[in-house]
Amino acid sequence: MDKLKQKKMEKTLSCNSSRRRFLQGLLATGALATMPIGLLQPMLAEAKELFSDADYQIFRNACPRNCFDSCSLKTFVKDGVVEFVEGSPESTYTAGGLCVKGYSYPRRVYSPDRIKYPMVQVGRGSGNWKRVSWEEAIDRIAQKILKIKELDGNLLGLGLDKYSGNFGITHYGVEGMMSSLGYTTRFAGTPCWPAGIDAQNYDMGDMWTNDPEDMVKSKYIIVWGGNPAWCSVHSMKYIYEARRKGAKLVVIDPVLTQTAAKADLYIRPHTSTDGALALGMARHLIDKGMVDQEFVSKHAVGFDAFKKYLKEKVSVEWAAAETGVSAAMIRHLAEEFATADPATIWIGYGMQRHANGGSMVRAIDALVAMTGNIGKEGGGARYGHLRTWGFNYNAMVMSPPEGSKGIVGGGPAKGDFHFGGDEATTYSNRNFNMNQAARDILAQKESPLRMLWVACRNPMSQNQNTALMKKAYDSIEAVVVVDQFFTKTVEQADIVLPHTTLFEEYNVNVGYWHYWMALNEQAIKPMYEAKSDVQIAALLSARMNKLAPGSCTFPLETDTRVWMEKEFNQGIHDLFGIKSWKDLKKGPKKAKLASSASWHDRKFKTPSGKYEFFSSLAAEHGHAALPEYRPKRAATAPLRVITPHSKFSLHSQFQNLDYMADFNPEPFVYVHPTTAAAKGIADGQQVRVFNSLGEVRLKARLTGNVPTQVLVMYEQWFKDSNFLVQKIIDDTPADMGAYKTGAPGTAVHDQFADIEKA
Amino acid sequence: MNDTQDQQQLQALRDFFFAQNAAQLSDAYAALDEAVSIDLPKVDDWEAVEFAFNRLFVGPKALIAPPFASVYLEPEPQVMGKSTLISRQIFEMLGVQSPWQGTLPDDHLSLELDACIRLSAVRQAGDSPEVEDLWSYFLQAHLDQWLPSWINRVRSAEQLPPAIHTVTDILAAWLADEMRDLKSTEPSIGL
Repeated sequence: MDKLKQKKMEKTLSCNSSRRRFLQGLLATGALATMPIGLLQPMLAEAKELFSDADYQIFRNACPRNCFDSCSLKTFVKDGVVEFVEGSPESTYTAGGLCVKGYSYPRRVYSPDRIKYPMVQVGRGSGNWKRVSWEEAIDRIAQKILKIKELDGNLLGLGLDKYSGNFGITHYGVEGMMSSLGYTTRFAGTPCWPAGIDAQNYDMGDMWTNDPEDMVKSKYIIVWGGNPAWCSVHSMKYIYEARRKGAKLVVIDPVLTQTAAKADLYIRPHTSTDGALALGMARHLIDKGMVDQEFVSKHAVGFDAFKKYLKEKVSVEWAAAETGVSAAMIRHLAEEFATADPATIWIGYGMQRHANGGSMVRAIDALVAMTGNIGKEGGGARYGHLRTWGFNYNAMVMSPPEGSKGIVGGGPAKGDFHFGGDEATTYSNRNFNMNQAARDILAQKESPLRMLWVACRNPMSQNQNTALMKKAYDSIEAVVVVDQFFTKTVEQADIVLPHTTLFEEYNVNVGYWHYWMALNEQAIKPMYEAKSDVQIAALLSARMNKLAPGSCTFPLETDTRVWMEKEFNQGIHDLFGIKSWKDLKKGPKKAKLASSASWHDRKFKTPSGKYEFFSSLAAEHGHAALPEYRPKRAATAPLRVITPHSKFSLHSQFQNLDYMADFNPEPFVYVHPTTAAAKGIADGQQVRVFNSLGEVRLKARLTGNVPTQVLVMYEQWFKDSNFLVQKIIDDTPADMGAYKTGAPGTAVHDQFADIEKA
Repeated sequence: MNDTQDQQQLQALRDFFFAQNAAQLSDAYAALDEAVSIDLPKVDDWEAVEFAFNRLFVGPKALIAPPFASVYLEPEPQVMGKSTLISRQIFEMLGVQSPWQGTLPDDHLSLELDACIRLSAVRQAGDSPEVEDLWSYFLQAHLDQWLPSWINRVRSAEQLPPAIHTVTDILAAWLADEMRDLKSTEPSIGL
């Protein structure tokens, strides 16, 4: 075919009227009458306009991932295909921009790697998969559930492991699906932020943070154990603006992060000694009389006891020895922080993922409180909030079928995102600790976990101690995983079900950092045979009731828009100043706040109603009543290992996409040159990082950005690699978390290993 | 090979690469056996072929050889790319559309083979230069631009069952024949 003809054909193809003329010509000759019957079907009368000459259709979407920024998106669709996404300009927080992960969303929808169909693995881990219909997959699942009920007389043998892979409100329908079947086993707790949640609850009675947008009012910002330049890029503009107006940015972190690189002052305490640093600063402020007397006397209880503790147990020199930060620097930092008005500390989640993490958050809270910065715009001990999450949880709250049996006297359910009622019931679910799931699964002898449903999670790559997790999975009779990609957990599934992306379903999203709410509209048809969690639950319910009438109470509704609509209530309408969810079609809305400061009225939710330097509740729960120093975890191997978040992934999501693989094709262990030299390790050399749990093999990257004696590996899932950092991370708990989330947090940055050339 | 055999072969290839299970693979394979002059390798274990077939073309793991044109034609491999819409446009010119439009990429190998079957039937029904141009375009500017890469990926897959290897070879031979025919009727100044 010559170039001229090819060009002509391309013109014909791209022009609606030319294609139609061509077709009319064929129809006129009668040539189409001979067309055989095949896969393609005669064009539907209503589908005459397959291609639109019109501009893009624009949809509202919301990134549902577990991220500070919870962005609102504008999605541009043409001919039924998502062409690109932008950050919503209507949200002053998202402000028209996305992070590298957000911009990659079309790559996620249209990755050839997506799980496309329900499939059954013949021999777990064998890689031998059969494609089955949804009907067959759901029938197998329903039959298994009924078998468990028949064998055990209850459904405690059915477990749910679900967390933050999708924070869309209707996705609590997964929990609803379980409740609609009966009393089951739930993996309680959160691997994310529980120690800090408890700490803030002891101090203030709730976790509540200032609006991040009010950081522009701050005169002094300490980012302590967090890396917003990677993990909350939209917050950085407020920090920059504050700096432009004269504020100072201090970053305290064992790693010289991207955020630290932008700071005016970077402080590197020894890992896990942040509490000592905060207490040392507090002691200095006592010595200098730089305490906000009005706050500590009027709005707080227990300050005298705290002062006494500091005077007796803490000195600046002690803090310097403990942290490795000079006494002069501790004094300087304390004085600058106390003098600036307002001053704020952003308490990163990484900082509390230590065996003494909760106590460190309490010490930092105390520092912010004693300087009078709690309840102040531009101030605050910033951690997180759930103030905008007052939805109906219509998909989550389901009654068990009549006659269901469960745990007697188990008490109400707990969890960071648990929004169900706390009323006492005769029976309850059985709770396993999400962060020690393997231990709990293996410990059951009389009532074993027979079947596990995994949704919005990838525990085989994200839970600590991979070998123990594998052993636990091996003890389970049936594993069902709902996902978009073939993760390490799907590898260990018997049945995998394909899940929709955000563009293929309706939903509504809010954040735990900012105060915006965003609508998530269905922008395209679900690719292949993907279904949303609520649709899967409805299918299962239909099958269960067909096989055993009355065995499942989940509604048969499969329209995700209906599910989304049912989440709204007057409280949400009032908070966001909307009349209906439809108002969100014009763009995301921000909650109407009396003040951008949390605790602006100084009415705390503690038992005393005041800020509690001394918390009797903490003491009741087995902790120190005061924010006392809790020593760091004793080493179990020569070098410390920390496993922070990568820029290119959100836990095990995103890194598998081609855009990310281009920039970050393989994992590295980051080693200080001094440590590397002692081990004879050169940059780029293959090494093994090992401890009593196992080993990982990867290349070493030598950098002074990490301290000596500390190895840094980012927690990520690379699709074509066996690298899993959790192979050498144990399930040691953080000190706090059980009070509000049902289980203590994880000490994933309190880990130890050795390194050598591979 | 006459036109009828050619059509039967294409139909069997289409159905093979669109199979959902071992039984459908086996049926399509038997139909192909009927349509071609060579003897196809005997298959003892269709389940093993099904597992390999799913690893190559279906999932759930990342596919060894995704059967979608745009994965090979786009500068950044993905499904539902601009080149996918070219297939949709060609289908429209033939008065047909994919019943899975918007869910299964239109440029799935089997849908494109189905379009070839239809286009061949139209070619046989009349002598239209426009239809010949469309055929040349679809073959030369589209199928021949991606199928060879796809065929290479299939052929280099580890532990490839002989049945899948042979069916792929037959598809490769069909494409080569058609391209040869096209070249023999084209003027010497080509692409």
